[in-house]
Amino acid sequence: MSVVDRVAARTPLPTGFYTLTKREILRFVRRPKNTFAPPAITNVLYFSVFGVVLGARVGEIIGVPYILFILPGLIVLGAISNAFENASFSIFHGRWNEYIHETLTSPLSYTQMVWAYILSSAFRGLLVGGIIAAIGGGIISYLYQPVPIEQPVYLLAFMLVIVLLFASLGVVGGLLATDFDDLTMMNQFILRPLVFFGAVFYSLEDLTPLLRDVSMLNPMVYMVNGVRYGFLGVAEVDPNLSLFVLGGATVVVASIDVWLFKRGYGLTD
Amino acid sequence: MTHALEITDLRKSYGGVQALDGVSLTVPEGSFFGLLGPNGAGKTTFINILVGLVRKSGGEALVFGHDVEDDYRAARDAIGLAPQEFNVDRFFPIHEVLEHKAGYHGVPASEAEERAAEALQRVGIYDKRNTRFDWLSGGMKRRFMLARALVTDPDLLILDEPSAGVDVQLRRDLWELVTELNEQGTTILLTTHYIEEAERLCDEVAILDSGRIVTVATPEELKDRGLDRIVVTLREPLSVAPSVLSDDDRVESIECEGNRLVVTARQGGLLAPTLVRELDRGGFEIVDMEIARTSLEEVFVELTNSGVDRPENQRDEETSADDRDREEAPLVTDGGDPADQRGRSQ
Repeated sequence: MSVVDRVAARTPLPTGFYTLTKREILRFVRRPKNTFAPPAITNVLYFSVFGVVLGARVGEIIGVPYILFILPGLIVLGAISNAFENASFSIFHGRWNEYIHETLTSPLSYTQMVWAYILSSAFRGLLVGGIIAAIGGGIISYLYQPVPIEQPVYLLAFMLVIVLLFASLGVVGGLLATDFDDLTMMNQFILRPLVFFGAVFYSLEDLTPLLRDVSMLNPMVYMVNGVRYGFLGVAEVDPNLSLFVLGGATVVVASIDVWLFKRGYGLTD
Repeated sequence: MTHALEITDLRKSYGGVQALDGVSLTVPEGSFFGLLGPNGAGKTTFINILVGLVRKSGGEALVFGHDVEDDYRAARDAIGLAPQEFNVDRFFPIHEVLEHKAGYHGVPASEAEERAAEALQRVGIYDKRNTRFDWLSGGMKRRFMLARALVTDPDLLILDEPSAGVDVQLRRDLWELVTELNEQGTTILLTTHYIEEAERLCDEVAILDSGRIVTVATPEELKDRGLDRIVVTLREPLSVAPSVLSDDDRVESIECEGNRLVVTARQGGLLAPTLVRELDRGGFEIVDMEIARTSLEEVFVELTNSGVDRPENQRDEETSADDRDREEAPLVTDGGDPADQRGRSQ
């Protein structure tokens, strides 16, 4: 029995819920080559090319070096992609190979099942976000200045709410997918474009009024803006409003997850 | 008295296909109950409703008094299922898979470790505890399925075709183990189309055909319903059958062929002494006598009007027909060969 198990045994956490959450976390922690190495390598490349090479030509945006400007967006991109991928892949893979039956035939409540998937996936999103922050922070500190964290409470709140939101969306994705290609499609054709057009690499001020208005329909803008506010203390959209909307969206999507599990959508016949 | 299972008018339809058509059944606590039926009869659908993998279209199903939908947590906690299909977590070594399963049922980590070790020892694959499921042999996989069902210490153990594709030795080991569990008080629900298995193990069997219960009885009662054949060879030819046979309700037919008398009747074993006495009284010398008892298999075929124990090469096709649910939702099947995906991790 591990130390974590011993600690958990002293808490009021339901054993079934704890076990499923642990299982979900162990699944990705034991496969760092599949889970942690890819975002680490990708972000070293992003920071090197966009931050160092191209960033020198771009100069400063909203008063900070370009590489520091893109840091929050890349953290958001990595965190939400991994939170989403983890939940959707784990559920779909379990459905595909039917071992999700081990969970479904157990006496966990549907709410416990859903939150075990959401929390473990959100945890992976936070870990990946931390890895990207460490890589970017290291490069920026070496080249320019230490990375500031002007609003740590907001930073933490935004990071938590976005990984929970995308883990919740990942549960829906895992239930809706009919093939592994569907998972790839969700990530590559929906998630990634939204993030790239979510003011990760540019400021909203650089857009025409029309494009700026269109961008405001993209929920990623609020996430990137919120995390950037946490680091730099500069926001283009009211962070409290963003946090409220994102928090509300998380509650709604998580409720949909529980409803889908209860209904057995994609799980039972 | 609480029954292990109380099923009332249970129905399940898949589109236009009626997989279960008003099944009503009671399984007493502590019994060894067999559910017999040809492939496609609805056995797996029935089981999957109990554990929550299939949603019933109508009727009621209670597990130790707990409704499978309204009180699903208590119902599922009471059940240990060894399904026919291998649906095992392939990311972890098998001892961890068992620990997780026990944990889902509320068993704390320290006790789950012990239970996993005990379950693996009980089915004889403890030395493979650090191996992943995919690397086990076919027989070991079947043993593991039983270990997983046992690790939660269920009150109701459901075995769905446990002998499918296993060798004779393993089949006997499984029989020995489940008999022992039943003697210790575990209620066992066994689905099989190996009639010998049901005959040897079950106190009572229900025959399911096309989603309906055809009959519920003990194996002996079922066999009594079948027709036995008594063949008597006499020293001298016989022209007319003894009159006592014509008056007996159990007798279905009498044939005289020279010095051979062939009687087809229910409960042939009980009828034979009467026949011998009557022939003796008529002065006929009996040279040989043979009683061919009806088998449960013959009764089964008669009741279901279909074949059983078909060749292995027919089974795969039929098994998928059995699981009509899978045709409705190919996602949850192995559909195609997902082997290339199994090792994939994101």
